[in-house]
Amino acid sequence: MLLIRAIVRPEKKDEVLAGLSGAGFNAATMVDVVGRGKQKGIRIGGMVYDEIPKVLILMVIQDNDKEKVVKIILDIARTGTEGTFGDGKIFVSPVEEAYTISKNSPGL
Amino acid sequence: MKEIMSIVRMKKTSATKRALVAAGVAGFTAVKVSGRGHLVTDSQGLEKCREKLLAMGMDELSDATDTENLITSFLDGSRFFPRRLFTILAHDDDVPRIVEAITTANRTEYRIGDGAIFVLPVSDALRVRTGEAGEAAIW
Repeated sequence: MLLIRAIVRPEKKDEVLAGLSGAGFNAATMVDVVGRGKQKGIRIGGMVYDEIPKVLILMVIQDNDKEKVVKIILDIARTGTEGTFGDGKIFVSPVEEAYTISKNSPGL
Repeated sequence: MKEIMSIVRMKKTSATKRALVAAGVAGFTAVKVSGRGHLVTDSQGLEKCREKLLAMGMDELSDATDTENLITSFLDGSRFFPRRLFTILAHDDDVPRIVEAITTANRTEYRIGDGAIFVLPVSDALRVRTGEAGEAAIW
């Protein structure tokens, strides 16, 4: 199993989640976060905005679904054809065990 | 070293904290999150839920279609519900005990929406106060 951590623009959140749900990946957790990327934030006039609001989407999926899920998020969360700074990131980490609290057997 | 991520009901936050202390783990980090789970395929169970919600939601002031729509949105799986995400760092041997404690504290009669527990590997940890690394940095 893998944990997908996707940081996306808040305005893209609903689209991304609808896309994932449509492809059969309904389970997700989301958190409102702030962050900056390697552009060191946004400079407007003299002000530097380096706590830019984003949404962090957490999902645990089976290994063989990784490509599908990553592709859905990439395709929907990218703005324009080339993408723009601030579109976000996707991180994938291994998950060793998963338990559903309402079930007695381990697994997603 | 393992990182235990657990998503639990908001109302179960203190029960989870108590269960963790009882299991000998005091340290945790918690965040307010919103989440949704896998689609429920048990149509009988859903029908029961719908009846219960309708009985609770309808009164002389509420509009029937509004209530109906609201209840449908509750049950079709697309809605996000508030949950608490606990992050606990643990030694390898303690993981089964902690998982058991969280499971026991959080299981309810409703079953659906009780949450999930994930166990992730951690490559290193550092305690800021002392600079201790590895297993010693956990507790």
